[in-house]
Amino acid sequence: MGTLDYLLNGFLVAFQWHNILFALLGVVIGTAVGVLPGIGPMSGVALLIPITATLTSGLPVEMAATSSIILLAGVYYGAMYGGSTTSILLNTPGESSSVVTTLDGYQMARQGRAGAALAIAAIGSFVAGIVSLIGLVLLAQPLSKIAIDFGPADYFSLMLLGLAAVSGLAGKSVTKALIMTVVGLMLGTIGIDAVSGIARFTYDSPILFSGIEFLTIAVGLFALGEVFKTIFEKETHDEPVAKITRILPTKSDLKQSAGPIGRSSILGFFLGVLPGAGATLASFFSYISEKKLSKNPDSFGKGNIAGVAGPESANNAASGGAMIPLLTLGIPGSGTTAILMGAFIMYNIQPGPLLFEEHPQVAWGLIASMFLGNLMLLILNMPMVRIFAKIIETPKKYLLPLIIAISVFGVYAVQYTTFDLLLLIGCGVFGYLLAKHDYPLAPLVLALVLGPMIENNMRRALTISNGDFSIFITNPLSLTFLVITLLWLVIPLILRMRGKNVIISEEA
Amino acid sequence: MTLRFDRIASFVFFIIGVLFFTEALKISDSAYGSSVGPKIFPMGLGASLIVLSALLIFQSFKAKSIKTAEDESDSPQYKRFLIILGAAIGYVLLLEPFGYVITTFVFLVIAFQTLERGKWLPTVVIAAAFSGIIYYGYVNILGGSLPGFPV
Repeated sequence: MGTLDYLLNGFLVAFQWHNILFALLGVVIGTAVGVLPGIGPMSGVALLIPITATLTSGLPVEMAATSSIILLAGVYYGAMYGGSTTSILLNTPGESSSVVTTLDGYQMARQGRAGAALAIAAIGSFVAGIVSLIGLVLLAQPLSKIAIDFGPADYFSLMLLGLAAVSGLAGKSVTKALIMTVVGLMLGTIGIDAVSGIARFTYDSPILFSGIEFLTIAVGLFALGEVFKTIFEKETHDEPVAKITRILPTKSDLKQSAGPIGRSSILGFFLGVLPGAGATLASFFSYISEKKLSKNPDSFGKGNIAGVAGPESANNAASGGAMIPLLTLGIPGSGTTAILMGAFIMYNIQPGPLLFEEHPQVAWGLIASMFLGNLMLLILNMPMVRIFAKIIETPKKYLLPLIIAISVFGVYAVQYTTFDLLLLIGCGVFGYLLAKHDYPLAPLVLALVLGPMIENNMRRALTISNGDFSIFITNPLSLTFLVITLLWLVIPLILRMRGKNVIISEEA
Repeated sequence: MTLRFDRIASFVFFIIGVLFFTEALKISDSAYGSSVGPKIFPMGLGASLIVLSALLIFQSFKAKSIKTAEDESDSPQYKRFLIILGAAIGYVLLLEPFGYVITTFVFLVIAFQTLERGKWLPTVVIAAAFSGIIYYGYVNILGGSLPGFPV
């Protein structure tokens, strides 16, 4: 079967009524998550994993996995649409990937062009979403064909590269990011060792035998950490919410935006494919390059529509591109995709080169549903943007306790232990403390997900080589990955030493 | 503030690294298979954490002269944070003995009122609606299981 046949089959899956419903639910919640400052795509996706698990509990495993992933992915790219809304109307980015949108978006809103800015953000996001999906369709099959020949040593090195990429770009201090990575890997070793069956770090408490549940950690660190932060610190925003007058952009708006949207879609897609880069960096790069390409760069920051169209397209394209390493290599390149990967693993489905052969339903159903989801988002965001803008006004005093209650419910519904609930709250406190002091959390979660796989591949490789560690550098592919890993960590360090500003990716 | 936190944290990480390493040494080797047992990887991790946290200790003491400003001007709200944290811990501990609906309701009422006093009607309505709908929807419609009411 060719790619097109697979894609058609994928559409058959995506058009099953419950999957349409799941996609719709996903993108609506995603948009809401994007609009609400404080809940990012990471905590949004993490919070919804247990809820989708219960919603799909009646379905056969593969169908349940497909539907859940469709919903969770919808939250992810839906958040990219929603993030722009608060940036434009309130000058407060809903997500870190929409920070640059505030520069021109809020200016446009003050000039009474909020509607046009929102519309262009939605149109740009849609075009970029479709562009990145086409890229995904074209690249998925060939890439997984290449990856299928990877040996354990190659995989080990590639995963190290993934970890290094995320750590190298996350937060202000590489040391802190690496510490978080190692702590994540450590947490991953707790429990019964899959290879030898020996209990490690369990101290005879049966609750630890199955290991630390990734879901508990992710929800605690991201969702609760964020809630505790907001409770702890006084919120101060008195910016008036801008009014939306006219929604449709004018012809000249469209004309000015066409170029930036096209360029940023492609730029964002490729940045998304790179591990560690992600949506935030893509939006920054897009803004910078549009400003450089513009005939009158001075108009940027004063309400130039290209400054909204570019970054908003780029962040959406990047979220599509980020699905490629996740689906084809089984290596998530960002915090959010790491959480998606955790969801795959919960359903006993291993993302990676074999995904397309063993579970074509899941892989192609997801891809097809993303076409559908993007279309839904375009329709939702144009006429209904006023309704979503209302979400901003949700009082925090109700929102925060409800998020805690939802987290508790979600974790309990999946784990059924008080231990996990206490761990959840503990992670929330640590998540707040660590994030406040610039210890990035995404590397920890990524490491927790990748840890067992890294270890298994390492041991498999060493078994092949009879315990000789040189297998990692004598194997050319593995050596290449290791060299890139090293460069990825060293180059930003050198740049920083020379006093250059390195753009960091908070979302990663 | 961050600097002080860094120093404490890096020492804590250092100790964790040492403990992890020594505990990893105690893991028994697998009797069969390869020369690579279940303890190599954790030992490597412990060693890496020791090195990294030592680096962070070094960095945080070197940074001393540069950084003094950036004290948070907004006063952190310890009181409401501690009340909600305490309520959350009580909530999860009492969840099983007292059942989902009662504990969730009480937790939400306390948390809502801690964040903003007054407006009892919306507080009670929202808390009751949330705990009731989640419990009913999850147990009766989706067929899940949550701790019910104390008998």
